[in-house]
Parts: sequence; structure tokens; C-alpha cells
Amino acid sequence: MDDVRRDLWRPLQGTSWRYFAVLLPLSLVTLWGLIAWGYQLDRGIGVANIRRPVFWAFYLVDFVFWIGISHAGTLISAILRLTEAEWRKPVTRAAEAITVFALMIGGMFPIIHLGRAWIFYWLVPYPNSRLLWPNFRSPLMWDLCAISTYLIGSTIFLFLPLIPDVAQLARHATGWRRWVYRKLALGWTGSDREWHALERAMKLMAGIILAVAVSVHTVVAWDFSMAIAPMWHSTIFGPYFVVGAIFSGIAALILAMAVIRRTLHLEQYLTPHHFNNLAKLLLLMSLLWVYFTIAENLTVWYGNEPKEMMVFGARTRGTFAPYFWTMVVCNFFIPFVLLGIRKLRSIQTAIISSVAVLIGMWLERFIIIVPTLSRPRLAAAWGSYSPSWVEVSITVATFATMVVLYLMFAKLFPIISIWEFKPHDRVPER
Amino acid sequence: MYLKGEFREKEAAARAILDLKTQGFGPDALDVFSNEPVEFASGVLDRPSRMSLVVVASALTFCLLTILFVRFTQYNYPLVTGGMPLFSFWSTGVVFYELAMLGAILSSFIWFLWESGLIRRKTPAPIPNVEPGIICLRVYCIGEQEEIVSRQLAEAGAVEVARL
Repeated sequence: MDDVRRDLWRPLQGTSWRYFAVLLPLSLVTLWGLIAWGYQLDRGIGVANIRRPVFWAFYLVDFVFWIGISHAGTLISAILRLTEAEWRKPVTRAAEAITVFALMIGGMFPIIHLGRAWIFYWLVPYPNSRLLWPNFRSPLMWDLCAISTYLIGSTIFLFLPLIPDVAQLARHATGWRRWVYRKLALGWTGSDREWHALERAMKLMAGIILAVAVSVHTVVAWDFSMAIAPMWHSTIFGPYFVVGAIFSGIAALILAMAVIRRTLHLEQYLTPHHFNNLAKLLLLMSLLWVYFTIAENLTVWYGNEPKEMMVFGARTRGTFAPYFWTMVVCNFFIPFVLLGIRKLRSIQTAIISSVAVLIGMWLERFIIIVPTLSRPRLAAAWGSYSPSWVEVSITVATFATMVVLYLMFAKLFPIISIWEFKPHDRVPER
Repeated sequence: MYLKGEFREKEAAARAILDLKTQGFGPDALDVFSNEPVEFASGVLDRPSRMSLVVVASALTFCLLTILFVRFTQYNYPLVTGGMPLFSFWSTGVVFYELAMLGAILSSFIWFLWESGLIRRKTPAPIPNVEPGIICLRVYCIGEQEEIVSRQLAEAGAVEVARL
């Protein structure tokens, strides 16, 4: 076994107390979130502070946020694969895993938001006893189709390049791991037919998944912009959301890489070079995000339409102004200063910027959703919103769940693709 | 009978494949095994593929079936649309697009399993155990060809030639 394999398989072999020290409290937070959801299922959706006029709040903010995070992986990985960027190799699997887990978490929120989660299956088109069909014209059905397709695609996109690695692991593992790896390897032998087919499938999937990823967040944006509500009915919401999704996705990827680099001791493979490249991408997306934000807000301000200005005023000068300006600082000023000035750009500043961007992007979703709903066209219907402990618990638990799922994945599978990392050109003498 | 030749360099493996092809061995008789993908120059051991065609055809088929299904559901339980058409192509276009993409995704995965041979292995040909960094060429031959194949493999630079 050579050095690369030994290094990349090492995290799978032993489990330190530090791993459990991180996993256990986070699992408890996840459990607390499940208890909160159970409480909501038992008592009804009223325990969340979702009421007229703010029907969409934390749950929808979380939904849009996590779907955005999911763009980390597959989209970035697909772009890097298609452009054959060599530096992508240690990054792609870490990114693809984020996508799958973030989508699983994000996809839960419409179900949580339903309140009566047990009738979720009504969305599925099947010939039921009342001869009812779902309304395919509804953007919520678009969501169901888009997210299901993206989740299936992302899972396959993560699984395909995993096959050669699990086949190798199956030869060396013992016990239940060996059984799992052998089943997942699907009988992979490493023949050129298999490699050719894998390469073709990955190229095709990269192209398809790019188209799906862009469409998914566009559809999520259309959930809002198809409504004739102030500051939602915007033609640029689709690309604005896609840019925001990639932006937050890159931030999540940088954070995930920093965590696994430190906890799994992969400093030799996830080098400052990788962080530098991702930091530059993050900076680029920050500039794109600020461009879209200005374009969106400037046109509203210049148009001076009274109903829109009510929401605009609430966002920039009123109740929601602290969130709005924190968002601007987090999404633009912090990355611009820390990553734009070359001397300041490092792994640490990339991490700080990523944390800031994740906070900023969560606030951005909040700023988009809540002010518009709390300031409907009829002034008599105005309302306010503050989250209940149930909503906060479930929101916090999803972050913990993400880390738990990610850490468990990193313990079961090599987080860096071994066969991609080792191009077979020339080998040393035996 | 199967013979294997182990190579340390892909150029040597490519040479062996070209030599064997001149001796009349087709791509079906030759298989290369390795722990990492080995990219030969075009013309050495090409494996033609219909994956792109299958993926496009599947996407179109899924799209068409979705259009028919959605149209059926809208007429099967007509909603009150206020005089607007029951079946609207544009407002359900996203569903057609996503399902077309789903067709493309599923077909590329299924076709990968098919083309790679993972789900259609009929004859249990012996699989060589390949060490990391080694390129193993497996050749299917009949009794009298064994000597020719062994010689070709050794001349091309195989470090080990053996029966499988």
C-alpha cells in the first residue's frame, strides 16, 4: 500500500476520543431538534410563530439556505470536472457529500412546514381514492420535482466516483465494513471497460447536474417571484438566487475542508493552494452577489412604487435594517477586505470569511422572506414575526445534523477520492 | 484460456496491445486492469460507447411521458381555471424539464452499469489481482496462441506473464 492510500485510509481505521467529543454533543443537539419537531407534530403548527401575515418564516429561510448550501458540491465539482481543473481532485468528494446532506436537510423543511407532515405523500401524483391529482402548475410541485431530481442526481454523482475506492477498500477491510464496501463496489474489477464507462458517465453527469443545479435554485427563486408581492416579483430573482447559492456553497465547502483538514490530519492533501483558489472563487461570488443586490434594490428605490418602498424601507431603515446591514457587511465587506487584499488571504481569513458569508446568506434569505410578508399591500394587514423556541431549536439542530452526517461519512468513506488523486502515469520499480 | 501480462509503464502496455491487435486479437479479447484509470492514446484500445445517445433519448422519452401524464391528470380531475386552458404547457414546463433531466440522470447511471459490464457478466472470466501502480493486460486466447501471446507480452515489456 503506498503513502497516498495509507494517508487517506487512515481516518477510516481508528476513531479518537476527539471524534466522539465532537460527535456526541452535536448528536444531542440533533436529538433536541427532533424532540422539538415531535412537539410540533403533537401540538400542531401553532407552536411555531407562523401566523398571519407571516406564513413563511424560519422554516422557509432554512429551506432556501440549505438548498443554497447544496450547490457547494455538485455544482462546483461539476464545473471543476468539466474544466479539468487539476486542483479539484482533493476537493470534489468533500463538496459532493455536502450537496447530498444539505439537500436531505433542506428537503425536510417543506415537510416540517406542512405541520401535518404525515400527509406529505399527497404531493406525490398517484391515483388516490378521491381521484385527486396534484396541481402541476403550482411552484411547490415544481420544487418537489426539482429537488427530487437534484437529490437523486447528486447521490449518483457522489456514488459513481466512490465505486473504485470502495472496491479497493473492500479488499483490505474486515468485518461489517468489508460487507458494506463489497456491496457498494457492485463487483468493480478495475477493467478498462469500467474505467471508460465511469469516465463517460461522470462527464455526462457533470453536464446534466450543472443544468439541474441551476434550475433547482431558479425554481426555488420562482416560489417567490411568481407571487405578485412587493420586492418578490422580480425577473432577476432566478440568477440572483443561483449566485447566492453558489456563494454560500463555496463558503460551506471551505469550512468543511478546514474541519476535515484539521480533524483527519489531511494537511498534506488539502493545501493552502486549494484554499487560495476557493477563496478567490468566494471573492468573485461576493462581487457578483453585491452586483445583484445593488441591481435588485436600486431599481426598487428608483421606481419609488409605494408598496415596494414600504418593504424596502423596512429592510434598509426600519425593523429589519440591522439584519440587512449585517448581511451586507458579512457578504461583502468582510470577504472583500480579507480575501481581496492578497497579503491578508490565508486559510484563517478564508475560514473567517466563510463563516461571515454563511451568516450573511442566512440573513439574506430572512431579509427576502419575512419583510415582504410582514408588509403586505393592505396596511391594515401588517404584522410582525419573532421565532418560537421550536423554530430556533429545529434550525440549530439542522446545523448540528449537517456536521454529524458529514463526520460519519468521513469515517466510512475516504473524503478524498484516492483514484482521482493518483493519476496512473508512471510507477516506481518494485 | 486467459493470460495476463503485468506492466509498470502504460507505454509498454500500449505497445503490447498494438502488437496483439496486429496478431488478430480484437478489443473483445483484451482487457486492461488497474487501480487507477489508464488513458491510452486514441486507437490503442478504443471502447465505442452509445451512452450520450441513450441519455439524450431517455431525456426526450421522460419529457414526452411527463407531458402526457400531466395532461392526463389535468383532464382527469379538472380544476376551476376561470376560462384558462386546463393544460398549460408553460406553467408546467418546469416539471417536464426536471423529469427530462431525471431521465437523463437515471439512464446515464443504468447505462454505466451496463456498458461497464457490472450488471451483465455472463461468463465468469478470471479477474487478476492487481497491485497498486501495476497495469495488467488480460488476453483471451486458445491453446495454440498461448506461446505467441506470451512472447508478445514479454517483448513489449511485461514484467510478468502468467496464466490466469
